[in-house]
Amino acid sequence: MLSINNLCASVEDKQILKGLGLDVKPGEVHAIMGPNGAGKSTLGSVLAGREAFEVTEGSAQFDGENLLEMDVEERARAGLFLAFQYPVEIPGVSNMEFLKASVDAVRTHQGKPELSSVEFMKLARETSKKVKLDQGFLKRGVNEGFSGGEKKRNEIMQMMLLEPKLCILDETDSGLDIDALQTVADGVNAMRSPERSFIVVTHYQRLLDYIVPDYVHVLADGKIVKSGDKSLAKELEAKGYGWLEGEVA
Amino acid sequence: MSEQVEHLIRKEYAAGFHTAIDTDTIPPGLNEDVVRFISAKKNEPEWLLEWRLQAFRAWQEMDEPEWAHVDYPKVDYQSISYFSSPKSMDDKPKSLDEVDPKLLETYEKLGIPLHEQEMLAGVAMDVVFDSVSVVTTFREKLEEAGVLFCSISEAVEKYPELVKKHLGSVVPQKDNYFAALNSAVFSDGSFVYIPKGVRCPMELSTYFRINEQNTGQFERTLIVAEEGAYVSYLEGCTAPMRDENQLHAAVVELVAKDNAEIKYSTVQNWYPGDEDGKGGIYNFVTKRGVCHTSAKISWTQVETGSAVTWKYPSCVLRGDNSVGEFYSVALTNNHQQADTGTKMIHIGKNTRSTIIAKGISAGKSDSSYRGLVRMNPGADGARNFTQCDSLLIGDKCGAHTFPYIESKNPSAVIEHEATTSKVSDDQMFLCQQRGLDPEKAVSMIVNGFCREVFKELPMEFAVEAGKLLEVSLEGSVG
Amino acid sequence: MGDLQTAALALAGSQQAPDWLASVRQRGAQRFAATPWPNRRTEQWKYTPLSALSGKSVQLPEPSGYKVPEADLIDVDAYRLVFINGVYSPDQSDSLPPEVASFSGVNDDQVALLQNHLGRLADSSAHLFAALGEATSAEGLVVHVKAGQSLDKPVYVVNYSVGEQSFLASTRVLVVLEAGAEAEVVEQFLSATDDQANLVTAHTEIVLGDNARVKHYRLNLEHEGITHAGGVFVELGRDAHFDGFAIAKGAELIRNDYLLIHRGSGAHVELNGVYMPRGRQVVDYHTNVQHRVPHCTSNEVFRGIIGDRAKAVFNGRIHIFADAQKTLAELSNKNLLTSNRAEIDTKPELEIYADDVKCAHGATVAQLDDEAIYYLQTRGIDKERAQVMMSFGFINELISNIQNEAVMNYLLPVLAKQFGRENDLLQLEADTLDAL
Repeated sequence: MLSINNLCASVEDKQILKGLGLDVKPGEVHAIMGPNGAGKSTLGSVLAGREAFEVTEGSAQFDGENLLEMDVEERARAGLFLAFQYPVEIPGVSNMEFLKASVDAVRTHQGKPELSSVEFMKLARETSKKVKLDQGFLKRGVNEGFSGGEKKRNEIMQMMLLEPKLCILDETDSGLDIDALQTVADGVNAMRSPERSFIVVTHYQRLLDYIVPDYVHVLADGKIVKSGDKSLAKELEAKGYGWLEGEVA
Repeated sequence: MSEQVEHLIRKEYAAGFHTAIDTDTIPPGLNEDVVRFISAKKNEPEWLLEWRLQAFRAWQEMDEPEWAHVDYPKVDYQSISYFSSPKSMDDKPKSLDEVDPKLLETYEKLGIPLHEQEMLAGVAMDVVFDSVSVVTTFREKLEEAGVLFCSISEAVEKYPELVKKHLGSVVPQKDNYFAALNSAVFSDGSFVYIPKGVRCPMELSTYFRINEQNTGQFERTLIVAEEGAYVSYLEGCTAPMRDENQLHAAVVELVAKDNAEIKYSTVQNWYPGDEDGKGGIYNFVTKRGVCHTSAKISWTQVETGSAVTWKYPSCVLRGDNSVGEFYSVALTNNHQQADTGTKMIHIGKNTRSTIIAKGISAGKSDSSYRGLVRMNPGADGARNFTQCDSLLIGDKCGAHTFPYIESKNPSAVIEHEATTSKVSDDQMFLCQQRGLDPEKAVSMIVNGFCREVFKELPMEFAVEAGKLLEVSLEGSVG
Repeated sequence: MGDLQTAALALAGSQQAPDWLASVRQRGAQRFAATPWPNRRTEQWKYTPLSALSGKSVQLPEPSGYKVPEADLIDVDAYRLVFINGVYSPDQSDSLPPEVASFSGVNDDQVALLQNHLGRLADSSAHLFAALGEATSAEGLVVHVKAGQSLDKPVYVVNYSVGEQSFLASTRVLVVLEAGAEAEVVEQFLSATDDQANLVTAHTEIVLGDNARVKHYRLNLEHEGITHAGGVFVELGRDAHFDGFAIAKGAELIRNDYLLIHRGSGAHVELNGVYMPRGRQVVDYHTNVQHRVPHCTSNEVFRGIIGDRAKAVFNGRIHIFADAQKTLAELSNKNLLTSNRAEIDTKPELEIYADDVKCAHGATVAQLDDEAIYYLQTRGIDKERAQVMMSFGFINELISNIQNEAVMNYLLPVLAKQFGRENDLLQLEADTLDAL
């Protein structure tokens, strides 16, 4: 599904990723943990194709295609979804309009017909129920005046509507209370399937009690310094990141 | 609070004395002969006389601008004397010891001791008394660094090529009515030249003083910073108390070559007139700088004096990545009127400008911010941020904001914000409840209001500015 | 005097008009003749050159058989009055209630009212085109609602420019609402084709008594060729409310002056506006909110999207008079330039003579937010589409605040067409609104 090799990337000439490698197969859930400033969020941005992030070395294959050569929207249409740590507010553009445009773009790419507005409405309302987002949010501006939890639920709702192949959750759990966290995790778990993969970037082990990963990686100083199964997360919680320093060096 | 405003304790304008010095003053009036006289008096080369005459002829064709939000009786340009010089200046003193003691006394009274040993450490000073520069200090030390700092008359004699190359290159003779007048009759002013790569080792400073009656002061300042050079320049001004209005029409030109930086700070405390609006200086000044690639010009001004102020220190951001800044505090009290602001002309790519303007109006005064931000078609990625805040003290004054924003580039971003507020009763109550007297409270609140600008001033000036504000506000609350 | 001035005065001299307008016309003609033609140094016209207009040749309109296409009209239950090239067309207009009359159908009371008020707020000595409007006034309407009453339906005024020639189309609207009265007025300006090049001067004066309320819409939806110079002049009594909306799509020149005068304390002005000139169009809004008495509020928001080689001018003045303490006044003007050759000149002004007030204005010229465009892209929406959505969103905030649903529903497709958006999206929006 996703194969990353020796990925190096910088922002404003500052190197953040320094030779990162990662292999994600269909159906797998990978958790990426690490201390602040390790490059966790950078990874999501680089994979999504954010302009300010410059890939200086390495490769990333997505479904056999060279991901790094694709535009942002091409990646999205090919099935790569990034749930933002800080979802963007877009005043004046209604959530409904935004969601339909997005779903239509992906469906068109897949050779499927666009949904009629009635079909779409139905779908959107059902999905919003699943993430416990009041339907009133559908007509408001994108993320405009949403609380932190509402924004994150809106992200999960988009994920459900777009049915991507690979979902990258960038610290989706940060700032959520237990209820919201449960909702987000339920949404993700409901979407787990043998064809769909997840990369869950998080600072806290807590999320992994709800979304149980197949693999846990520790990202430090722009590289993956240790990989293991879910027990690694427990170990990290108990010991912190300090004991890994030898491996960072 | 407005009742308190009525009970004013007035403090006299501290710089309002007149010095009895023998002067060489030509009779009032302006014609070509006067221009020739000034030029001859200063032994100027032919090209400069010609340049002056061109300006004079242009000026005669021009109309005095009326667009500013100020109201004053028409200036009679024929009743002004265009040249006044302390007599003892005929043979210019070689050192401070030769300076007329009365002059030195004047500056002592103003709190500007000229004796080098008493000087604030590290500030070199040029002093302009009425029409001529009387003394420049610390010259040798500057020359060691290759910095030229002298009066503009001296520069015309000694460095004619530098002057010829840059004079009028930023503010052309016909730029505006007052600039044309200045170009025709400018008497003296300061000249600064910082060679390539040199960081001027000390703050440079000029003190201007109008002393004689019925004289105008028309100084001309030219500062050239070559590639990668840096200079910080301070300017201060005072004048005696007189019942007549006196005219001050200066021109300041700054040239910042690639990667150069010029910081220009002004504390303007010309005589503002009395509480009934009688007398005071008309301060009609043109200040402008040109920034070449990655250069930076920063104007900081504290304007507390003058009866009428008409002044817009500007930056022409010609080179890519150049930066213009304007930090201003304009305080008006009694019948003062100020129409001041800046122009930021963005020509180069990724040019940046910041405007922070604080207007404080008290008494029956009017204070206006007038600014222009222009993004030319080539100014890709240019940015401007403007913040204009007005503070009103009392209900007889006015505070106005006239920003002109023009953009012809879709990638340029301009943000302008303006607010107005007053010193609130709650703030006053809090301060007074904590034991401050009302006047101290107001001055504290006003100082806080101006903090963003004061922090741009060199240390000594910041202190002076704060005190000046306090003095100027005296009587605005009781 | 400009060529147009001379020509227009000659036209005024040969124009047929009701006798009761004679003194107004005479005053206008005198002032129009006495006003120097603006040049670049005229502050009011600094950014809007009138040089091209000076040579424009126009003639007086005559009654004609032209009809406004039904499809161009707003589907609103209202009292409709139609003016074709400035000439009242009774055939296309509804029968009117006693509160509303066209100039051709006024009674003595209404004449007296008009004589009292015409030109009082739209000061022809201060506004060049108000003077032209006065000099050539012959057509228009009056709305007069007595104390405590309200009009059961909006007054809907359609001004249609049509025909081979260029006409001078002058109309006037006077709205007088006595204490506690309420009314809604929709003014719509249309033209038939891009080539139609009328000079339209339309001045509207609104007098609001204590606690009176008006909702006012001024929709400049003319085509490319039109020159429109007019304005809306409002006086608010104590606790009165003016709720205004303005839109200008763009034309050869559209200049609208808004003057809003608070004369009674507790009055409130809400004014939203949108402009989006393209091609070589010019739109110019000058607004002036005068707070003359204490305890009044005003809130003004204008947004513009300027494309191609078009130009927009915005001048928003807030004037707080001495004694107008406790005023709250805000103004916001935001602009988007979408082309290298587009131009915006904006000038928000504050003139303040009272200390205990809260006033703020902000003006921005910006690009679309890159961050938001990226967000849309990560959801599979291509960049161009994202930009269109964002541009529409930029003004949609104001459009979706329009209280009159018929007006909003009419404007949405007009704007959608301007932004090249698919109709199903609009349908979606309508469905969404219905469903939720």
